[in-house]
Amino acid sequence: MEGTAVAVFEILRYLIIHWKCEIGVSKGALLEEQLVISIEALHSKHKANALHCVTTIAPIGSLYSGFVFKKFLKEIQSVLPRFSAKLSGIPEDSSCSQLMSAVTPFQMIFEVDEKPRTLMTDCLVIKHFLHKITMVHPKIRFNFSLKVNGILSKEIFGVENEPTLNLWNGIALVVNSQHYVSRPKFGTTESYCSRIHPVLGHPVTLSIPDDMIGVDLSGELTLTPAAALCPTLKDFSNQLNRISSVSIFLYGPLGLPLMSSPEQPITTVFKDTSYFIDWKKYHLHVVPTLDLNLDRDLVLPDMSYQVESSEGAQSQNADTQGHTLLLFLFVDFHSGFPAQQMELWGVHTLLTTHLGSILAESHSVVQDAIQFTVDQVLEQHHQAAKAHQKLQASLWVAVNSIVSVVTGSTCSSFRAVCLQALQAADTQEFGTKLHKAFQETTQHPFLYHCSCEMKQQTPEKKDSAQSTEDAYEEGNPAPRAETCWPEENKRLKSGRLHRVVETTHAPHSSRAPRRPEPPTASLSPSGEKAHSKAPAPSRASPGNRLQDALWLQEVSNLSEWLSPSPRP
Amino acid sequence: MAFAPMGPEASFFEVLDRHRTSLLADLRSAGGEPATRETRLASSSEVLASIENIIQDIITSLARNEAPAFTIDNRSSWENIKFDDSVGLQMVPHCITRKVKSDSPKSIQKFALILKILSMIYKLVQSNTYATKRDIYYTDSQLFGNQTIVDNIISDISCMLKVPRRSLHIISTSKGLIAGNLRYIEEDGTKVNCTGGATAVAVPSNIQGIRNLITDAKFLLIVEKDATFQRLLDDNFCKKMSPCIMVTGKGVPDLNTRLLVKKLWDTFRTPVFTLVDADPYGIEIMCIYKYGSMSMSFEAHNLTVPAIRWLGLLPSDLKRLNIPKDSLIPLTKRDQMKLDSILQRPYVTCQPFWRKEMEIMADSKMKAEIQALTFLSSDYLSRVYLPNKLRFGGWI
Repeated sequence: MEGTAVAVFEILRYLIIHWKCEIGVSKGALLEEQLVISIEALHSKHKANALHCVTTIAPIGSLYSGFVFKKFLKEIQSVLPRFSAKLSGIPEDSSCSQLMSAVTPFQMIFEVDEKPRTLMTDCLVIKHFLHKITMVHPKIRFNFSLKVNGILSKEIFGVENEPTLNLWNGIALVVNSQHYVSRPKFGTTESYCSRIHPVLGHPVTLSIPDDMIGVDLSGELTLTPAAALCPTLKDFSNQLNRISSVSIFLYGPLGLPLMSSPEQPITTVFKDTSYFIDWKKYHLHVVPTLDLNLDRDLVLPDMSYQVESSEGAQSQNADTQGHTLLLFLFVDFHSGFPAQQMELWGVHTLLTTHLGSILAESHSVVQDAIQFTVDQVLEQHHQAAKAHQKLQASLWVAVNSIVSVVTGSTCSSFRAVCLQALQAADTQEFGTKLHKAFQETTQHPFLYHCSCEMKQQTPEKKDSAQSTEDAYEEGNPAPRAETCWPEENKRLKSGRLHRVVETTHAPHSSRAPRRPEPPTASLSPSGEKAHSKAPAPSRASPGNRLQDALWLQEVSNLSEWLSPSPRP
Repeated sequence: MAFAPMGPEASFFEVLDRHRTSLLADLRSAGGEPATRETRLASSSEVLASIENIIQDIITSLARNEAPAFTIDNRSSWENIKFDDSVGLQMVPHCITRKVKSDSPKSIQKFALILKILSMIYKLVQSNTYATKRDIYYTDSQLFGNQTIVDNIISDISCMLKVPRRSLHIISTSKGLIAGNLRYIEEDGTKVNCTGGATAVAVPSNIQGIRNLITDAKFLLIVEKDATFQRLLDDNFCKKMSPCIMVTGKGVPDLNTRLLVKKLWDTFRTPVFTLVDADPYGIEIMCIYKYGSMSMSFEAHNLTVPAIRWLGLLPSDLKRLNIPKDSLIPLTKRDQMKLDSILQRPYVTCQPFWRKEMEIMADSKMKAEIQALTFLSSDYLSRVYLPNKLRFGGWI
């Protein structure tokens, strides 16, 4: 019998493909389901130092019309030869026609003996798998519970009411940045946008290597990259104006994570960090991250790189400093006909075992697509950083000019009034306080407002925003001070990028990515108790639409600032 | 006191003399004795105090945690311009302003540059030194980006402080030339005599500092282009038509050339005529001398000479003189747009003859340079065209 984790993967994969293909969920609609996965482990009576694990998978809700257990068992055994399971609740050979909305119509149960450490690892891997699924299927919810020798722990995996980015083919990427990086340890929450803003690349067709005998697809495989920087900074500072790590996430058709076997890891092709991305053009030196910590709340990437500084020193922990470049690779399958379950199943199996070869076969097109997408994201970041530098330079010019007049004045009353206004004892302190005052009064509006996080303005500021224009007729350029804008405006400027729609299910959300139920403890491999997860902070309600329009109007002209930089 | 070589006989200038008399009568009826009007410059202390007030306001805003901003008259809006026949284009008293904010991505750099130039002006005035706009630009060309930005900021500061540019100790480089019956002494004591025959004198950079102006000129001819001006010099026009003065701004005139023309008019009430190409840009240049420009309307009183008359080249002259079509040039789209724009301007309504000439141009869709007259003869301009026009009152 294969391990618990592998069995759960394959079953979930089967169910999701079944939901999509057999039930006839329309192509663009998001899957909306709820599933209970419970593992109960007791000391095995047959094996020493092993736990007898009973895994139950039970969908909740009315969705299993057409699900035939025997057919499922036969098909699942094609990938899990030693898999065996039983069904409880309804006859095995009948269709699930009973629709009991609040009651589990049936349960799939399978049993396996595993060592405790293996079980714990499997549980962590399963949880990461569930987390990854919910990142692109925001309406699927998993209730996961683990009971080991009577000690129960539960977690819910779901992203209800979190902002998402509708992609295609019935999947949507969750853009809540807390899933991808930890909240930075310095800086205020106001310095960061709570969302990532992915840039979608163009899809490219993948070729099947000639030596893959027996592979005969009725359609074609495509790869669509998406990239985003996380967190999205509103306020640039030198500390965070750098990329410190890269995370790569692999998804197959229908947004199912591609999980490879230890024997044939599909991430081998990414071990060569420059195989698909030329990092040198960004002056980055990346090395694969060897140790991916399973025991963390973030979505686990399939591949991770650390960025080393140009001096060659090891970069610091990505969780504490710098941006993480998130790269999502969506492999999809297209044929001229509605996808058949077994066909998709076969494609998944193919990708699970041969993704590396397929990507290598299509190396140049994949490289172009990924490079282009990463270029877009990093270019935006670069421009925003540049704009910030220009902004800082302007402030210094203003400060120095004022200080020059004040210090050069022969009018003592004028000097006294100026110093007194800023409560400065001397002109040196005056200069410092002046700069600080400028920073405080001028920087805040320059924070990179997302339309997703516009705060309500005070009435005075609203009037100011609506008052006479503040630009010279020469159209003197202003700095690009924003990276956190709706991608649609920027994407439409490039004909190669997908048009996507960013949606927010609800303006207010307090749901955490996971919400384990206290207080019972679960045993992690280290024996520590699991931590309760704090709920995500409420999101501010969308701001004034007029300010959105004005701000977008302003930032649309920011590119003109890219002429010679003023000296600080 | 006649100091120039003899030109035409006195009767040649009868029409011109009558024209001058008429102009003086108009001035008297408009408001009192015609008198020279000295332009009052703001004192250094006034300028320094104005700048200090601005700085103080900015610091006060910051102390109140408010983002400071400059409020500047919008010099580029026609809504802020009114037309007065006696002055030309000038800014309305309560005009629309615009804010240059420090908390806007679009204007923060402009805000900083205004402060930068204000601080430079402050230093110039304090040290009683002068600099040109070009000098200002080159103190930090990377920071400023281009000369136009500097020029506009200086004009805005001049408008904001309500003082002429010279009071800011910023002088503009003159590109104009003068020739003819004129002598004066510059501020530094240099004696200048423009009666040079084949050579011209550069317009001085300090017009306000000129003193002891002396001339007998019966008329002042403003020539649009340097090429035409040089041609007239070569043809000894100033001698043949003596006593007279010729000025060229070499295209769109700089401030000093305009100030000089204004000063000559104010001092001597010499009739002023323009000789421009029969094209929309020539007409616009003429309008700048006569009525001023929108961008400098805040200083109209110091710069405009509404008494200017259009001598040539008139579009109606082209037909009258049978200038062949080969010598004419079709109006471009830009020309058409420029012509349409001029026809919309407020001062054209009180110049029916000008309007008519422009309509002739619009109807024919053709334009011509002064050089088109060389079709008739190489010296037709100086030998026939201009003398006849001046003698028989061929101006509008």
